[in-house]
Amino acid sequence: MTLSRRGFLCRSAAAGALLSMPLKAFAQSGEMGMLRVAVYTDMVGYDPIVTTSNIAAYHGALVYDMLFGNDENQMPHPQMVGDYTISEDKLTWTMTLRDGLTFSDGSPVTTADVIPSILRWQARASQNGKLLAAATQELVALDDRTFQFKLKEPFPLLAAMLGSPATPLCFIMRKREAEMDPAQAVDVCIGSGPYVLNTQETRPGIDYVYDRNPNYVPREEPASGLSGAKIANFERVILVNMPDAQTAIAALQAGEIDFYEIPPIDFLPVLESDSNLKVADIMKSGTEGSIILNWLQPPFDNLKVRQAMLYAIDQEAVLKGLFGDPNWFNAHPSWFTYGSPLYNEANSEWFRIAPDPEKAKQLLAEGGYDGTPVVLLQATDRQVNADAVTIIAQQMRAAGFNVQIDAIDWATLLQRRPNKGPVSEGGWNAFVSTFNGFISSNPYTFGHMATIGENGWFGWPSDERNEELKAAWMKAETPEERVAIAAEIQENAWNIVPRVSYGHWVQPVAYRSNLDGFVSIPGVLAFWNVKRV
Amino acid sequence: MLGHFIKGLTTAIPVMAVVAIIVFLLLFLAPGDPAAIMAGENATADTIAQLRVALGVDQPIHLRFWNWLSPILHGDLGNSIYWRQSVVSLIGQRAGPTISLAVTTLFVSVCTAVTLGVIAAARVNSRLDRAIMGFAVIAFSVPTFVVGYLLMFVFAVRLGYLPVQGYKPISAGFWPWLSHLILPSLTLGTVYVALIARITRASMLEVLSEDYIRTARAKGVPRRSILFRHALKNAAVPIATIVGNGIAILISGVVITETVFNVPGIGRLVVDAIARRDYPIIQGVTLLFAGVYVCINLLVDISYRLFDPRIRY
Amino acid sequence: MLRLSRSPGLFLCVGLLSVCLAGALFAPFLANDPLMTTPANRLMPPGPDAWFGTDHLGRDIFARSLYGARVSLSVGFAVAMLAVGIGLTLGVLAGYWRWLDRLLMRVMDGVMAIPSILLAIALVALHEPGLGIMVIAIAIPEIPRVARLARAVILSVRELPYVEAATASGIRTPRVLLRYIMPSTYAPLMVQGTYIVASAIIIESSLSFLGAGLPPEVPTWGNMIASSRLYISTAPWTVFVPGSFLAVVIYSINLIGDALRDHLDVRMAGPG
Repeated sequence: MTLSRRGFLCRSAAAGALLSMPLKAFAQSGEMGMLRVAVYTDMVGYDPIVTTSNIAAYHGALVYDMLFGNDENQMPHPQMVGDYTISEDKLTWTMTLRDGLTFSDGSPVTTADVIPSILRWQARASQNGKLLAAATQELVALDDRTFQFKLKEPFPLLAAMLGSPATPLCFIMRKREAEMDPAQAVDVCIGSGPYVLNTQETRPGIDYVYDRNPNYVPREEPASGLSGAKIANFERVILVNMPDAQTAIAALQAGEIDFYEIPPIDFLPVLESDSNLKVADIMKSGTEGSIILNWLQPPFDNLKVRQAMLYAIDQEAVLKGLFGDPNWFNAHPSWFTYGSPLYNEANSEWFRIAPDPEKAKQLLAEGGYDGTPVVLLQATDRQVNADAVTIIAQQMRAAGFNVQIDAIDWATLLQRRPNKGPVSEGGWNAFVSTFNGFISSNPYTFGHMATIGENGWFGWPSDERNEELKAAWMKAETPEERVAIAAEIQENAWNIVPRVSYGHWVQPVAYRSNLDGFVSIPGVLAFWNVKRV
Repeated sequence: MLGHFIKGLTTAIPVMAVVAIIVFLLLFLAPGDPAAIMAGENATADTIAQLRVALGVDQPIHLRFWNWLSPILHGDLGNSIYWRQSVVSLIGQRAGPTISLAVTTLFVSVCTAVTLGVIAAARVNSRLDRAIMGFAVIAFSVPTFVVGYLLMFVFAVRLGYLPVQGYKPISAGFWPWLSHLILPSLTLGTVYVALIARITRASMLEVLSEDYIRTARAKGVPRRSILFRHALKNAAVPIATIVGNGIAILISGVVITETVFNVPGIGRLVVDAIARRDYPIIQGVTLLFAGVYVCINLLVDISYRLFDPRIRY
Repeated sequence: MLRLSRSPGLFLCVGLLSVCLAGALFAPFLANDPLMTTPANRLMPPGPDAWFGTDHLGRDIFARSLYGARVSLSVGFAVAMLAVGIGLTLGVLAGYWRWLDRLLMRVMDGVMAIPSILLAIALVALHEPGLGIMVIAIAIPEIPRVARLARAVILSVRELPYVEAATASGIRTPRVLLRYIMPSTYAPLMVQGTYIVASAIIIESSLSFLGAGLPPEVPTWGNMIASSRLYISTAPWTVFVPGSFLAVVIYSINLIGDALRDHLDVRMAGPG
């Protein structure tokens, strides 16, 4: 009797499971071969060259490979490149692709793919790519596997830029996609990286499924940052879109996901007290909060109005509102990342009493601000962004700005921020963003330290002196000299106010404690080499 | 039966036509260029131009309506602005959780509500009756999302009996699936239960005062049999009507419940689309939900005949 | 009038509602700036400094709740007036001119087939967010119920002897309508209007909650709950204070509606 009933139960359970089981069922069961990562924002598109958001870089790092990869100390090592030589006069770099590189569609990677990929990246990359383009005389293929940079002047950082983790990373695509208009996102996602996007099982907006690329041949050197072996230990990596922190934390605690990208600081005590979980700062570079001002449109086309912002913003108050626990944040008056080697506080004494609404109002009057609404974009689906905007808007109002918050979601914000026009034509005056600390620790790694006007990053500041100083920094020979020039860059910065900071904080990640082997890359989460122990 | 069905269709089709006209007018009466709305904020001039041609923006209104409607009639709801994927396939990917949630709720709610309504009617003016009717007014007064957070706070956060949020497909196991559905279903069902329970009570009271019930009672037919066999059967038509009409409440509730409990269903799809102004999705889901509402009411209409063969139209 | 003294529950409801109304009207005198963020005082539990506590940005929940009442109550009444006004007009047209009836009722069926929240979302999504479009978006789905009710009343009245007598004596149609027919719709519409106030408040808060209402910075009960939902486990008051305001106000309005219905002796189902 018991037996037969059990038999019946088994049969009916099996039948039920078979009836209702899509193929994905195995993927949902959480066995060893799968890594489930909860990410906070949704992917805007599959093109990591067009979109510079972090999530696009995570996606790119899984699917695509790079010519060089910088290690944890930002020293470049060849990745797709096997050998390279630099001529005596330092003007010719000859690179040969290593063996066994194939795209996930089976076609081999050749210089016909590499060269347009570099060109497309240069067209999008705000600073590093453009500098390289300016220094390049010619980029030519010698044969299928060998290509050459012929330079106008020596460019020692060439390899470091091709291997830099600053977004957009120089990912190599097929010729077909690489030759597409750099302003338009590519329509298919085929790379030569350790994982392949599984478009069949990916459900946009819910989860993104990546399967191990069977054709990928990793390098043999040990992994460090973006360099060395990229070993796909997991059969499958799934990026699950979890905008709700409550859900993500519950899922992480229950073991339904393995990794959570951005646990809110308020919840860290809960996570730290759980012995199954680890909280760690794997990117090791901190985060800088930044208020981007649109230099092309009034009122922030006016220096006085921008300087008024320095008096208006009380970083301590913003950070306290965002994170509560002061152990995780630092208010500071520098353009450089807090705690980075170039960090200095030159030319900041004058506004350090901030907030000083009276001073701000005075500057607004001098700048001729007439009370026209300032449109501040707010990403309501990102708690940090939404809250920062709410507090910053309050502080700006107290300083005499007429602030109008435009509440949209982050994906829409990304689509809207390239608009250079006035507010009446869908433009904007300011938005709030966060940068990985690495990015603003060095004037050459990222575009927002560039002041090259409309060719630069959003906000489009322009200032020649800053560009001259950066060029001088680049040529400087000793670290001491670089520090001295950094002080001058800093000095100049608050004379022009390219953007305004709202502070620095550390954003750790949380994951199941049975995971190990994370590589540390500033701003990019990479899931190769990660394994379950 | 077929005749009934055809008769039902003749009322359903005009309603769907009106729905289509309303959704069309929403798009074409909105400020701005309808092609630009459909293409999204960041569309290139080319895309907008193509859409202008496809929608025939410069043509007379009846032609525009037809241009807009004909792909929809062929099952093409257009492409999402944000994901550049067809709205139909996006809805398909999200249908599982929504159907699980809606069907569970519908089934449980109707059973609970009818039972409550019958009990209230059987003991009219008792404390139990007042408690049930009092619950109904409260259920009408607390917004769905507040109910959701209250249940979540008590049963998931404080007591830890059930998962806080999220969804598991049935392929992950029966209990994981069900446990993720319990709180959302209770949340979604509250208003619906209140609505059906009240109508059940009212129509039961009406039937119970009829002569034939008194006769049956006088003849000594058992009380339970009177209630469920005789009275409920005759009160079925208004109950079925409200079950059908109440689907509208259920559908609105799905949108909110999925947001509260982070269920990746069609409701979440449309909520995400609002923030992104992804109009093709909003439009597609609106048409779909209206269609579901009309179909269910058509079924209810046909079911009248089963309950009460006397009804003729 | 309504026999308040005989029904302590109703008395309490009217009292609570009046307090809310007064709080909303005099919010600027009673409470702090609802937008003011004081991060140093974030997530304070209810206490003497902040009666209902503060949210994660240190905003005073008492102040935000009172200002939220302004939005909710004004949207509620505006929607009720608009929906009753338009619904009554359509109902009269349909009830009196039979040739219009079929057309209008089909249109009403169509509007009712679209879930109210989705219709409101679609309307709001296509326009700049603002109080005006919110009121219109919430009112439209309410119109069919009013129109049907008004039509039903008129159909039952138009055949009555005194109306027929008035028509026969040569009084012109508009005057017959205004003097002899419309008054019989007032009582049921008053009751229905009360229920609409309640349901409009629910829909307004739901739209805010879904991000399709007023911008998140504006203090509304729905916005408050939406922006605090992350803190439901650590600071439940941030969610449940606005939630209680919603529940109490809507419950009171519904009970008043029920009392009106019984008092005016209207045969109607009740809210919903």
